[in-house]
Amino acid sequence: MATTRSQIETLDPATLTLTLSLDVGLYPRDVLYAAAYVFLDRAYVLLDRQESRFIVHLRAKRPLDEPTLQAMAGEFENELLAQALRHQVVDANQRIIEDVVAVAIAGAAGDVEGTGDTGLEGAPLIDPGDPEDGFVADPLGIARPWEPDKQGTE
Amino acid sequence: MTPPPTGDPDTATVRLHRALYLEEAITEAAATFAGLASFDVRADGDHYVVDLSAIARDVDGDVVAEFCNFALANTARRRRSGHA
Repeated sequence: MATTRSQIETLDPATLTLTLSLDVGLYPRDVLYAAAYVFLDRAYVLLDRQESRFIVHLRAKRPLDEPTLQAMAGEFENELLAQALRHQVVDANQRIIEDVVAVAIAGAAGDVEGTGDTGLEGAPLIDPGDPEDGFVADPLGIARPWEPDKQGTE
Repeated sequence: MTPPPTGDPDTATVRLHRALYLEEAITEAAATFAGLASFDVRADGDHYVVDLSAIARDVDGDVVAEFCNFALANTARRRRSGHA
């Protein structure tokens, strides 16, 4: 087997441990963190580095049989791939994401063009003198509970 | 290779690679677990060496291994938010 491929180095069902060895050239460190983070709730994770390889120690928090432990190794490698793809997509679309968020925020503030001029400078968000404004008036009875046993507790 | 912590005795030593763990993240995890063990963190070559002593045994779970998980989570969070 080629040594540049990610692989299971050890797997011991008795101690619920497995060790993966990953080529550092295949996965950025952030991808490794992201994948490891996903497993923190079901395994104890310890990362190490040996020369050009990341070493990932996993120990299951709950008893597992050997096939399940092997499946966990596969799931970790799948998670690495998923996170690597996510990393690439975010990198490729960073500018677009920022632009969309900027337009969305500007639109929510009434500035659809993103010019920074909303025409609402200093205006109160809710006019306390207007019963139609805000949430106090309930002309359609939306705030009334529909459960019979709660209708009298308003 | 650093073996995963097993946490049987009242003391343990964990070696965390300096390229993969932030010292601030380790000390933050140590502060989180201060009520469950005593921690001494020092740099030694490529690793941070964490000596744990007086590890509480009357708790559910593995204190040493959970500490390592916290150190990793803190590192990932800090790197993501640009602290390093």
